[in-house]
Amino acid sequence: MLDDTFSNQPILPDNLPTVSSQAFTPLSPMYMKVNLMCRLTFWLIVVSALLSLYWQPWFVLPKTLELYLPQLQLAAGIFGLLTSAYGIIADKNKGYALREHDFSYRSGVIFKSVVSQPVLRIQHVELKHGPIDRHFGLSTLEIFSAGGTMHTFAIPGLPDEKARELRSYVLTHSDIAEND
Amino acid sequence: MTNYQGQWLKLSPVAIIYFAVQFVKDVGNNLIYLLPAILVGYNQFSENGLAIISGLAALLLFVAISALLKFYFYQYRLTDGRVQIHSGVFQKNHIDLPFERIQNVRFEQPIFYRPSNHVCMLLDTAGSSKLEAKIIALSKGVAESLKQEVLSHKTEQASSAETESTETEQEQLLNSRSVQDLVIHGLASNRIWIVLGALAPFFNSLSEKFIAGIENLGVDVDALMASSQYAFWQYVLFFLSIAFVVIAFMALISILGSVITFYDFKLTRSNDRYIRRNGFFTRHEVVMKLSRLQMIVYQQNWLDRILQRINLKFEQLGASLDRQSAGTSGGKIMVPSVTLSEADDLASDAWPENKLSAINYHPVSKRLAIRNTLIAFWLLIPLAIAFIYFDQAELSVATGGLFILTTGLVILSWKRWGYAMDEQFIYIRKGLIGVNYRCFPIHKVQQTQLHQSWFMRRFQLCSVRLVLACGGQTLPFIKRATGEKYIDTCLYQVEALRKSWM
Repeated sequence: MLDDTFSNQPILPDNLPTVSSQAFTPLSPMYMKVNLMCRLTFWLIVVSALLSLYWQPWFVLPKTLELYLPQLQLAAGIFGLLTSAYGIIADKNKGYALREHDFSYRSGVIFKSVVSQPVLRIQHVELKHGPIDRHFGLSTLEIFSAGGTMHTFAIPGLPDEKARELRSYVLTHSDIAEND
Repeated sequence: MTNYQGQWLKLSPVAIIYFAVQFVKDVGNNLIYLLPAILVGYNQFSENGLAIISGLAALLLFVAISALLKFYFYQYRLTDGRVQIHSGVFQKNHIDLPFERIQNVRFEQPIFYRPSNHVCMLLDTAGSSKLEAKIIALSKGVAESLKQEVLSHKTEQASSAETESTETEQEQLLNSRSVQDLVIHGLASNRIWIVLGALAPFFNSLSEKFIAGIENLGVDVDALMASSQYAFWQYVLFFLSIAFVVIAFMALISILGSVITFYDFKLTRSNDRYIRRNGFFTRHEVVMKLSRLQMIVYQQNWLDRILQRINLKFEQLGASLDRQSAGTSGGKIMVPSVTLSEADDLASDAWPENKLSAINYHPVSKRLAIRNTLIAFWLLIPLAIAFIYFDQAELSVATGGLFILTTGLVILSWKRWGYAMDEQFIYIRKGLIGVNYRCFPIHKVQQTQLHQSWFMRRFQLCSVRLVLACGGQTLPFIKRATGEKYIDTCLYQVEALRKSWM
């Protein structure tokens, strides 16, 4: 928490606290593993569905489909592997940072972005965990501002405990308390 | 006034019309999705006239019954400092609203309420739109006394300072629009093209009917075209004049629309509240607290630029869907077709320090134009080459022409982009053929975003997106250092000044 000692240092435009120089904390390693697993499972299902279509004995496939099905399977398999590999890099690039007055979330490989959310402008906070996330003890912290649901600030892949900590950090923050 | 206290009251019977109209409107809104189907099936419908008429009659009966039921089940009362409304036939809806939660009392008068002098009373709350209460039909006198009751309750509760402010409350006229201004607005606004677009499905049958009509008059169109007794310029003149008549007709419709919507437009200010009143049939009243104002926009399309007019918009909270359906309390205030000096007066009345018309805009990087041209190139040029390969020379030339046109537009739009910042405000200029100037206070930013693609990283550029309560604003392709400075300044002002955004 913040202490209440008053400070009012002069700040020159060049000495503003900078968003870009923060150290970003990477997401939980578990999140990357779960994500990778989900992607691989999905593509495995796709490929096996195609395979079972190829081998099923019940009805005859159209000629062109039968001709190109093996290529399609190969393409799906390769595409699945590539997206999974890309997913690992993308997940490694995701990270969040916390300052006294704001949250930042960094993501992207080719299109990088840094989103910053001042605590003062937070309307409400939500913890979200889907069935898979719950099994692995992960949650997503969703922060809503008046910018609308299009601009929800979300940090995925937080260990449950960390997520709850962050939520209570927001809820007990002096900026929020003052707002009420 | 005391005789309203405590007992459940019914609305005036005029409300039945209101419910019926509301029902028809709702059905109409849903019919929009069916419109294509209706258009396609138009011919089949026209053959079954009887079925349609009986269907319509049944619908009317249904509307009447539902309106009567809704009227029967609607009741309201005022009791110890709260308004209670019970409504709904199958799905009951109970609203219980304490007076002190009521932010504002407004009246709305649809045209069918005017002969009997009834009004709708809208009670605005600070919270969600779902809690907004609407008492549907009250005679003007009753409504006024109820308003007094609600407001006097408020002042009783409020501190003496606030009582003082309500005493001095009087409306000051900021701007009014004459019919002439509205005609200009109708001419310049894009409604013409909307109408044209809506008519597009009928063009074929319209032109057929048109030619058939002319032929009925004894003119043989084919012979007219084929004969050599008229010179080429006469044909051109003929078609130009037809086009002129059509455009003039469209313009007339657009002007009519503008006059009906904005008739007797008045923007007034009483203390920190802006009030907009307008409308020929239904009088609308929109109230905005100055502190809720998020952004001022000057909007000019190409005709506005020629006519030297500006549409000024005061943007409030985001126009999300539930806000809009809740009526007119959210959303924006638009002042149609004001002159530049009037616009500046209005803008500086709201935010005295803003320099919307005086600020120098920085251009964005030319890489924006280059990137967009490259995108257009890769989309269109391979297509053009493919057309040549398949021996479609005309299509290929057309695609090439489209590419040149797109490039022109890309460059034009790049030239329009501009941004600037002073101590309190950020300014954005954008547009294509028209221009759009925006200005918002830095401390109202809700969230900042910095985006950088691989292409931008190579040239030390970035795009900055500043999210306001009325939506996100983008500064594309600016220098990375500048972008970071903007974001740091925004965050610093939000967090250090701790000013409220609403």
